[in-house]
Amino acid sequence: MAVDEESDTSPRNSTGGENTENKRNEGRGEEERAFECNICLDTAKDAVISMCGHLFCWPCLHQWLETRPNRQSCPVCKAAISRDKVIPLYGRGGSKEDPREKLPPRPQGQRTEPENTGAFSNFGFDGGFQMSFGIGAFPFGLFASTFNFGDPVIRGHGAHGTNPANLEDERFLSQLFLWVAILFIFWLLVA
Amino acid sequence: MAQNIDPVNGSNNSISMKDGDGPTSATKHQSTSKRLQQELLTLMMSGDKGISAFPDGDDVFSWIGTIIGPQGTVYEGLVYKLSLTFPNGYPFTAPTVKFVTPCFHPNVDTYGNICLDILKDKWSALYDVRTILLSIQSLLGDPNNDSPLNGQAAQLWSDQVAYKKLLLEKFQDTKS
Repeated sequence: MAVDEESDTSPRNSTGGENTENKRNEGRGEEERAFECNICLDTAKDAVISMCGHLFCWPCLHQWLETRPNRQSCPVCKAAISRDKVIPLYGRGGSKEDPREKLPPRPQGQRTEPENTGAFSNFGFDGGFQMSFGIGAFPFGLFASTFNFGDPVIRGHGAHGTNPANLEDERFLSQLFLWVAILFIFWLLVA
Repeated sequence: MAQNIDPVNGSNNSISMKDGDGPTSATKHQSTSKRLQQELLTLMMSGDKGISAFPDGDDVFSWIGTIIGPQGTVYEGLVYKLSLTFPNGYPFTAPTVKFVTPCFHPNVDTYGNICLDILKDKWSALYDVRTILLSIQSLLGDPNNDSPLNGQAAQLWSDQVAYKKLLLEKFQDTKS
């Protein structure tokens, strides 16, 4: 939406505000325009300078280098250029941090990569954890559930007067499960 | 429990990542349109002879440019309209520039596509609408006949009188 607004208003702004913009540009003068980034045409932020003497915002230059990793050349004079062959500029009052240490806006291809691997490793870890727990606890879980099964039925009998035939069936089932579980544990111990 | 929680976390992560991508592409878009507005200003202030350009309607990402044939060439005084379409990655990637007015020229095909190195592999983020139009203007009078898109024009180029006659005929055809 913001994009639509931008494209809607920008031509009007540029035509309507032409006079004020012109004045502003004249006010800035050649002297200040000498400190504009050669790529975004705005005053250079996180400024770096190439060995050939051309001024850029580090985010702008970084993106330029990213778009052509095989032929890294200065956009102005096409001299060889690289990350290590630019010098950060520190003005008075500005940040003393090396602009190259800050995370420049990376292209989207790089952003998606860590997201994918992150999600995958999480999943793998959980799966492994779950499995080891399941195998160890299985017979005990069954054992516990048979006891739990029998218990509420007896209480239910006292409180609501459940059908005795059902009760018989369930008692039989719970005893069956109990024996199956005991046999299973026995088998596990023997084997 | 862990199984229930983690996929939710996972999907939350991926959603927040997607959200994170949104603003970056929006800011990219913004910086592109900001630069295009800057270019429009400099273009209007520069007052170069024979070239002009302006956004086509409300869309700042597509412009219509005009080139007047350079003096002292067979194209002298002929007016050509071009379309410039800017990708989101501009100025890191070159815009698409085409002739709207049919142009009889060795390096322009019948669809208006232009064969110009600075619009392809020689593109630099420093180039702007003004330099593109100036380059195309000078290409008119100084074609590269070694790699023609229009073979007939390339062959005829050596005979400037015949070339101009055919050029004017073709140009008149487009007008009528």
